[in-house]
Amino acid sequence: MRTVRLLLLLLGASAVAYGGWLLYPQIDTTLPWLVGGPLLHDALVAPLVALAGLTLSRLVTDPVRRYWITAGLVATGTLLLIAVPLTWRPASAPPNPGLQDRDYPLELTTALAFLWIVIMIILILIHVLSRRPAGRSADDRG
Amino acid sequence: MTRRPRLPKPEDFTAPSHSALVAARLGLWLGVAFALCFATGLLSHHIQHPPGWFTWPTRPVNLYRITQGVHVLSGIAAIPLLLAKLWSVYPRLFARPPLRQPVRLAGHGLRRISILLLVCAAFFELVTGVFNVAQSYPWRFFFPQAHYAVAWLAVGALLLHVAEKLPITRAALSERLGAKAPSEPIGGPDRSAAGPVRDDDTAASGRRAFLRTSAGAAGIAVLATAGVTVPWLRRVSPLAWRAAVGPQGVPVNRTALAAGIVVPADFQLEITWPGGRRGVYLADLAALPQRTAELPIACVEGWSASAYWTGIPILDLLGHAGAPTGRPVRVSSLETGGLYSTSVLPANHASDPLTLLALRINGEVLSPDHGYPCRLLAPGRPGVLQTKWVARLEVLA
Repeated sequence: MRTVRLLLLLLGASAVAYGGWLLYPQIDTTLPWLVGGPLLHDALVAPLVALAGLTLSRLVTDPVRRYWITAGLVATGTLLLIAVPLTWRPASAPPNPGLQDRDYPLELTTALAFLWIVIMIILILIHVLSRRPAGRSADDRG
Repeated sequence: MTRRPRLPKPEDFTAPSHSALVAARLGLWLGVAFALCFATGLLSHHIQHPPGWFTWPTRPVNLYRITQGVHVLSGIAAIPLLLAKLWSVYPRLFARPPLRQPVRLAGHGLRRISILLLVCAAFFELVTGVFNVAQSYPWRFFFPQAHYAVAWLAVGALLLHVAEKLPITRAALSERLGAKAPSEPIGGPDRSAAGPVRDDDTAASGRRAFLRTSAGAAGIAVLATAGVTVPWLRRVSPLAWRAAVGPQGVPVNRTALAAGIVVPADFQLEITWPGGRRGVYLADLAALPQRTAELPIACVEGWSASAYWTGIPILDLLGHAGAPTGRPVRVSSLETGGLYSTSVLPANHASDPLTLLALRINGEVLSPDHGYPCRLLAPGRPGVLQTKWVARLEVLA
């Protein structure tokens, strides 16, 4: 294990050095884009996610329901992130037949609507299924 | 109960998503995604800038379509996985440096720097990648060079990270997700004491739920974009940045107008070789024996589309002109300047009977945007190297 770790360390350090040497000529224009990601994430995105999680855990106490709502929110966030460059493109770019060939806001809305309909159906199913055994046992007793 | 607001400590995060068992598994998945991305990216880079030892096969004709499809889709899958992983280890951000112990402090500092480098590089690669596939460039650096350089930074920092975490990761991966007492919680060894009492089954199912959600989000992200290269997903993927539409059924990246192409009325294809030269009129090209082949245009941006191309195999054309074969051929465009106005066909591609100087696409004469009067179509090469508006073939020594 020690040898493997040492080897990884050496390989990693060399790759970092090589990457740094390659990047050096463009460091001034790339630096804001390098630092921007973690800064935005750690100071803004993660605290907001924490806040959303706390709020959700107060609003929805049932873990199964919360699981599906969380899954829906995570999928929504992912799709919104991927859609950013498709919906925001500097107009100065040259014409490009076949590129960005669809109405992305519309497609995105449709996909999100579909996603949430599926989640709604799952939530309703959970609700119905969780009530049925109780109802049946009540009938049996009666 | 009121508390004064303060900076959180790792122990304050008690959710099961912050368990080392979760972080190790997400790390493994993310590592696989990054490894695929890096390997396929390196291939793409070498195809475009081949070092002497490198050869790229001409078969299967879809090879580049597959490797580059894997490149962009593993990158897309890595987006939710990276965010999930960062969320899982977020408590570590608030670990206090051991200020009174200089040696441990130095170690702590080095670790922090290598992690910062990893996160910077990982975000950079994913963000610039998704912007590039959409051909949206809100920055001033040159994308291919920067993306390539930072890929080395990312992989290097990742190896450093693995070297540092290997014992913890191995222990965490060998432990079942439902383990009663995780070997080392992310929040620190005494987390269970600091956190609220939580029964083990709830924690285990919480870990599973978080992992399932992360994997599901990665799957949805891939499904939402894979239509760019997987034909039967074209209509399913709402966020595919390309579809198989465009003039004559194939998308176009650079139009004749954008490239400033003017085809002279007496256009002649020039074929040169050491010690010889020959011009061939377009009508004579059309009169030569033609071959039709189904070949993909597979772009570095990950989209691809197949079409039936008809033209003269470069091999036959060189033979017809009396030029030597079995050597690399430089293909030059009518476009002057521009990054991709010339490309070099390696000897194995120049000798392949499927490497065409195409005159027609799907049965029609090439439209100006597809490279009229003639364009290169070689099997298994990136779209940027399939030179359009070809004016000259130069057999190299």
